[in-house]
Amino acid sequence: MSASLLAIRNLRASYGKIEALKGVDLEIKSGEIVALIGANGAGKSTLMMSIFGRPRASSGHIVYDGHDITQVPTHQIARLKIAQSPEGRRIFPRMSVAENLQMGADAGDTTEAERAGTLERVFALFPRLKERIDQRGGTLSGGEQQMLAIGRALMSRPRLLLLDEPSLGLAPLIARQIFDAIRTLNRQDGLTVLIVEQNANHALKLAHRGYVLVNGLVTLSGTGAELLQRPEIRAAYLEGGRH
Amino acid sequence: MSASHPASSNGSEPVGAAFILKKAFLSALVALGLFSLMIGVRTEAGQSGQLEYWTRFGDLASLVAAVFVGSIIVELLRLWLGPRGGLGSFVPPSVQSGLSIAGRYLAPALLIFTFLVPVIFYNQRYILDLGILVLTYVMLGWGLNVVVGLAGLLDLGYVAFYAVGAYSYGLLSTTFGLSFWICLPLAGILAAFWGVLLGFPVLRLRGDYLAIVTLAFGEIIRLVLINWQDVTGGPNGVSGIPRPTLFGIPLTPGEGGLAAMLGIPFSPTHRIVFLFYLILALALLTNWVTIRLRRLPIGRAWEALREDEVACRALGINITTTKLTAFATGAMFGGFAGAFFATRQGFISPESFTFQESALVLAIVVLGGMGSQLGVALAALAMIGGFELFRSLEVYRMLVFGLAMVLIMIWRPRGIVGHRAPTVFLEKSKSISSDLVKEGHG
Repeated sequence: MSASLLAIRNLRASYGKIEALKGVDLEIKSGEIVALIGANGAGKSTLMMSIFGRPRASSGHIVYDGHDITQVPTHQIARLKIAQSPEGRRIFPRMSVAENLQMGADAGDTTEAERAGTLERVFALFPRLKERIDQRGGTLSGGEQQMLAIGRALMSRPRLLLLDEPSLGLAPLIARQIFDAIRTLNRQDGLTVLIVEQNANHALKLAHRGYVLVNGLVTLSGTGAELLQRPEIRAAYLEGGRH
Repeated sequence: MSASHPASSNGSEPVGAAFILKKAFLSALVALGLFSLMIGVRTEAGQSGQLEYWTRFGDLASLVAAVFVGSIIVELLRLWLGPRGGLGSFVPPSVQSGLSIAGRYLAPALLIFTFLVPVIFYNQRYILDLGILVLTYVMLGWGLNVVVGLAGLLDLGYVAFYAVGAYSYGLLSTTFGLSFWICLPLAGILAAFWGVLLGFPVLRLRGDYLAIVTLAFGEIIRLVLINWQDVTGGPNGVSGIPRPTLFGIPLTPGEGGLAAMLGIPFSPTHRIVFLFYLILALALLTNWVTIRLRRLPIGRAWEALREDEVACRALGINITTTKLTAFATGAMFGGFAGAFFATRQGFISPESFTFQESALVLAIVVLGGMGSQLGVALAALAMIGGFELFRSLEVYRMLVFGLAMVLIMIWRPRGIVGHRAPTVFLEKSKSISSDLVKEGHG
């Protein structure tokens, strides 16, 4: 946990006239899990997408591994070993599980041996995917689709994994499995993770550090444990309605 | 099959005589409303241009009665055939498994038969000509399949590339005297170039919007061909396009012809047979290239693009080049087919490249099952062959044709061959039936 892998400086981004990010600063160190929490419309997904240049930052900088990637074309960013599991999973429904995973490997510059090794790793994390390997993506359950989306992202052998709401619409037990897999990836494979979640409790327990985004601005940041103790976090995201 | 369930006549609601009669009565009422002006009143311009009209209540009454009776019959059929409906549920599993085995050998059997067609029907010029026509549409269907079936880009102007190919060969050969075998790749390259040219402005469009722009593009090409008289000959077209040669050896009765060289008597059928095998080779080339491409990253990227563009971007796929290569590849095959069309006809004019052709090729792709090579071939055979089959019925031909299409779309909403064979495997190949996936999920 030393050098900064991703540094976002004063990032602004907008959809037409509506400014979704109003000067965000965020840092992810190598080997960290960072959680980004916030209410609906706070700009969490926008921040994640703008790392990939969609929407393109209107001002500010995104520095990845020492290189400014603010203006790098979207398809080239994925080749810099940043992978993304987009919101709503977005697997390819008519293509088989094997093809979905292969799509993740296609863009990266991986050798055949590396690809086979990564595939084994994905199957070790999510044995369900191996059972369903020839099944169409669209016939999988929600949890399996989320596993596939993460597995597909892992196939490019990323250094930084961006996860957008991995627990969305999943049963608590399945969500726990997904979070466990993320923890395993971080501890055993040294993968750096940025996770966007509405499920603040889960995300902050998993993360080393967290950021709270409100209306396009970071209002709080700190270690996961610290944030979990903050009364305003508890009120807004954990015990909402009871206060 | 789930989409074809009649929602009202099964399940909790009991179906009685009253219900059937009520439904039939309502149908008849709608028919009366629709036809009272269309059929009930006949208008015509009189001798001095004045409006003449007379009523045809007898015809109207019989039509409404027909709708009434028809509605009752449909409801009774639904009642008797059980609530599950659809063709699949009538067929016992044993027959279905037999059909799937037959399906596995269908493609090779069809291919062998196609190779033998010129041998079997050597003396039947009509059948050979029909075969060439069907194969031309098979090739066009396979070409469009790359754009529509694989990449999911709805292209209503495919005929533009067919026209570019045809005019490329027609003009290059008549103006510069280039041979067919030199012009064929040139026609493909030019068509691909126009494919890219169409691709650029429509990169950000999808679905309906893309369809409209491609439709306009097809019309623009046709209008340019009509109006650019100096180059294209306008509505008169290009005539005297050279016939193809067997790598330089002409298929003519003269001294240097193929027949004379082989020492066999000349027959005009030789050329027809040659054309048949030429288009067969071109079509098979299209098929082979498509199948190969599907197993490469670019082919997978096309299919992924059809499924989800946002996910493609997140995976680092360059959307621009992926779309443009799909347009270019599809257009190239259209161009090859166009060059063949020009050499077969010897004469081309803008009339051959109307929107109707685009619609026909698109219908072949959709009817065949988007993305399925075998399905497209079967659909081309059914559509073009079926068209000829009902030629004797003259006026009813289009009616039968439309009805057949509606029925196929009800029974097989994913097309004749709805299966999609995966291209990446861990161990062994397995194709997944379309029935396992909900309708509308790709």
